[in-house]
Amino acid sequence: MKDRLEIVASGFGGQGVVRLGQVLGEAAVKEGLRVTMLKSHGTEMRGGYVRAQVVLSPKTIDSPMCENPDFFIALSSAAYNRFKDTVPEDGVILFDPAFVEEIDEKLACTHRELPAKQLAMDNFGRPIFSNSIALGAMAKLLENELDKEVILESLLEIIPKFHDKNREAFQVGYDYMS
Amino acid sequence: MQYSSATLIDKYLRTRKIPSTACSGCGLGINHKVVVQAIDELGLEPNDIIWGTSIGCAGRQTFATWKGDGFAGTHGRVYAIARGLRIALPPEKKIICTVGDGDAFGIGLMHLIHSARSNADMTIIVNDNLGYQSTGGQFGFTTPQGAHTDSSPYGMFEHNLMSEGMDVMHILKGAGATFLARHVAMDGQRAVESVKRAILNPGFSLVHMPYPCPTNFASRELGSRNQVNIYRWIKERAKPLEEADENTVWATGVWHDATGSRPEFSEHVWASVNKIRKTGAL
Amino acid sequence: MKRFLETGNFAITEGAILAGCRFFCGYPITPATELAEAMSKRLPQEGGVYLQAEDECGAMHVCIGASLGGMKAMTATSGPGYILYADPFGWALGCEMPLVVVNSGRVGPVSGITGAPGQGEFYLTRYPTQGGNFECITLAPNSAQEAMAMVVEAFYLAERFRMPITVLGDQLITDGFEDITVPENEDEMKEMGFRTWPRGSCAGPNFYPFTDDLDIPPVQMGSGAGGLCSDWTPTVEGYDIEEVEAHHKHAYRLIYKVRNHRDLFNHLYEKKYMDDDPDLVVVSYGTPSRVVNTAVDKARSLGMKVGALRLINLWPFPDEHFTRKTKYLTVELNWDGQLVREVQRAAPKDAAVHFLGTCGDLPTIPDLLENFEKLLKNQPLERKGWELEAW
Repeated sequence: MKDRLEIVASGFGGQGVVRLGQVLGEAAVKEGLRVTMLKSHGTEMRGGYVRAQVVLSPKTIDSPMCENPDFFIALSSAAYNRFKDTVPEDGVILFDPAFVEEIDEKLACTHRELPAKQLAMDNFGRPIFSNSIALGAMAKLLENELDKEVILESLLEIIPKFHDKNREAFQVGYDYMS
Repeated sequence: MQYSSATLIDKYLRTRKIPSTACSGCGLGINHKVVVQAIDELGLEPNDIIWGTSIGCAGRQTFATWKGDGFAGTHGRVYAIARGLRIALPPEKKIICTVGDGDAFGIGLMHLIHSARSNADMTIIVNDNLGYQSTGGQFGFTTPQGAHTDSSPYGMFEHNLMSEGMDVMHILKGAGATFLARHVAMDGQRAVESVKRAILNPGFSLVHMPYPCPTNFASRELGSRNQVNIYRWIKERAKPLEEADENTVWATGVWHDATGSRPEFSEHVWASVNKIRKTGAL
Repeated sequence: MKRFLETGNFAITEGAILAGCRFFCGYPITPATELAEAMSKRLPQEGGVYLQAEDECGAMHVCIGASLGGMKAMTATSGPGYILYADPFGWALGCEMPLVVVNSGRVGPVSGITGAPGQGEFYLTRYPTQGGNFECITLAPNSAQEAMAMVVEAFYLAERFRMPITVLGDQLITDGFEDITVPENEDEMKEMGFRTWPRGSCAGPNFYPFTDDLDIPPVQMGSGAGGLCSDWTPTVEGYDIEEVEAHHKHAYRLIYKVRNHRDLFNHLYEKKYMDDDPDLVVVSYGTPSRVVNTAVDKARSLGMKVGALRLINLWPFPDEHFTRKTKYLTVELNWDGQLVREVQRAAPKDAAVHFLGTCGDLPTIPDLLENFEKLLKNQPLERKGWELEAW
């Protein structure tokens, strides 16, 4: 893998953005990589904007800031508009059309649509599984860097409830990206 | 300070600090002797007690008088230090703190309340000289209404903890102290008996002991440094609790005795820690 | 060894426990709350005590009490709580009581911004209390892993020097997640360079010798040695005394026990690209230094002769790193410039010392590179209005 892989996840408070970053970070730790993750949010625990900045590297990581993320998981239009311009040409923006209604066609990077909320409603009747779907999708996008099974294992460790459904949801996301 | 009993001094006190640098006629020595007398009557040894002191006349004059271990806190904080020390000390070691009224009821009141709240085993002797005397004589929070001091030249008129039906003891009782008593310096053996009960209480005990300051308080309020006048002035305003009337400033005796009513702080903390360590839960 | 993806607060907690800390007393404050929470969970599991005090002033005094009783104790806070430590900090310095104090810097003054990193307490950790006549030791890690190591180191130094030691972090170090390696036994601790020192108990009768000697155990209450300690100037035996000569001797000890033993901590720094006499030395500490390191790597790849000096030991200030006549740039998380003043003082008179500040957010790499380039080309760091470069 490259010396430095940057992943940004951002959305509303309460969407599980930090958990998303934490699962990918934990999987990278299991794979023997070095990891940093900054979480930033306002003082309100819910409702404000939340961002997780994850850096993965086989070497010691200096700056923990994601100034040019390889992957940007956009879970609100505010987050999308705020960080879309930081994504470089070879970067990927993974967005949920339920939250990001309009995308910027002028951007040079790749957009990948993942209707995570819709898929969660269709398959499980509840939106709470959209995070596991997003993680499944990321597992596909990161298949050259992280083992899919290790990401799943980390997900089940960090989200202790509904293991069967989360496992299924993870697969739904993975299959959607395949 | 005068100690009539040379044996008490020999047994418990460091001769280096006796006689102290207190002013002539200061009543603090009487209070100090009451406490040492109580310790002696309980058969305790210098190593059984760790002696804490505060800032001000009461703290400075009693610091390093005890033959055993002694510490002095910054102004108002000796109660917080004693609370941490309580956790570290074996339960059989006693903590006695001789402090002043400004320290306990002014700057340190919050820390004092939290020591009472947690029922930490310590005996606080508040030696109340009716204000801030080591800084020259300003009023405090237990200075009687109308008293003239350097900072109340027209008479003390602020609401305080001992006026208009208020009594600082109510606050301490409400905060959870398990033993409370008050005595004026001239209560003699009655005071010794209360201090003994305070020391024996395995929890937070406080004895409020107003004493005469001839140098600053008396000279401003009574216009005289003659110790007889201030001793009489205090005595006239003190009465046993059961005889107290509207003219009584200091109702004396045991105010509150809830010994054994709830677990002592450090015992409770250590029992909880040990349970969590063994079983992972409370 | 075990690896975790965890926060700096977790790392600090584990470091404290490894160092033998069995007592914590604090008061909830962002962003040090999670450290208190982690302590409340972990300490009882290790047979230690967690307490919550009435305020920070009470919290550090309670820690002093526990330390006075022979326990290794720690407290943690952020700027608004650190100022309430002023009173107990003085007591612990004067009475030479070992303690570890963690300050997770946020944006000030006063409450400022709670959830963003700041470096406004550089000088405050040098003078955390009134009166002067003392030296302080401050350690400033720049990662969660290093925060663990520096907390262990702080306990080591606290015991050997008999004094409170500040570990100065920032919100990103304490709240940020990182892969953290935790040693599981003493051999692994040694392998990771962790040093520990046991708590002793001074048997007296000389509790406050007027020397610069280290390794004198602290006074302990309950030991039966007749130990004395107070907020007043002490005699050798701990009696209170109002005498200029006695004070002079005590002050000598408080100042020179640290100044004369700097070899115990002055290796705590990091240099990058400093061997070829760089034209610009970028000086920083804490989280900004990580961005600086990345930027300096980039600058070198662009042919700029830039070096990076990262301070871990902030106080006593390591003047020895600033003997060269060159350009210096401090990168700090404050707008007023604090580290820069000390570098100006330590550097040769004709060295050019510049300052680049941000607060609440880290500097960005393009911004750093632009400033490096300007300084190398002898161009002024131009800013407008409230962004005027005062330095």
